[in-house]
Amino acid sequence: MNIIGLVAGITAFLAIWFGHVMVRETERKVRSIIPPILICTAIALACLVASLQTDSLTLSSFWGILAVTFLWDALEFYRQEHRIKQGHAPANPDNPRHAEILRQYPSATVKDLLKREPQAHPEISTSAETETA
Amino acid sequence: MNTFGIEVGSITLLIIGLGFVWVIYGERFLGYLWWPYFLLAGILMLTASLFIPSAWGSVLVGIIGGSFIWGSTEFKEQAVRAELGWFKNNKNKIRPPFERIIKKWKAPHL
Repeated sequence: MNIIGLVAGITAFLAIWFGHVMVRETERKVRSIIPPILICTAIALACLVASLQTDSLTLSSFWGILAVTFLWDALEFYRQEHRIKQGHAPANPDNPRHAEILRQYPSATVKDLLKREPQAHPEISTSAETETA
Repeated sequence: MNTFGIEVGSITLLIIGLGFVWVIYGERFLGYLWWPYFLLAGILMLTASLFIPSAWGSVLVGIIGGSFIWGSTEFKEQAVRAELGWFKNNKNKIRPPFERIIKKWKAPHL
């Protein structure tokens, strides 16, 4: 039994899950996205050092995967803010930065448009239905 | 200095990047109701990785398996994005086996 692939696969999945939720929730609350970007970059660098230092291939993969996912999360703060501007993610009116986005970008909204079930009947979903959805 | 981890990390980034692409096309041509098959494929790959003696072989199969599990959780939101017009919405999808049963299950998302 060689557990390295299992460890790497589960690490990748959990790191993506964590990053997904963490970026969404943090971006929603913070007044500036610069501090979380710097923190994620610092964590990524620490993970990189840990992955370079260990002799174990399994641990090295674990830290290496965390390093790149945290670096990706740092970038995702920009992308998430962009999604808020586009209205592809809900703005938080209690956050002054988001309130400003809501004023400046007509596409921004407080509604979470993704929070619903797909229609699941491709052949009967008419264009009228998709437009009103 | 053990550079194995950062090499694995870089490949992971590439595999996740490809994940965004195949989720878009998978949803467009197959539809989100295929999610249990992608989840199952991911679990099978994670299990198979245990029996691959080479470190690189095991890691690659494991990470691709992990990305399939992630992709299976991304399908539902992608389907909504297509319905909202943010992505091309193809109405003639290839339907999955046991569609009736799958529809009764709640599709996972992160």
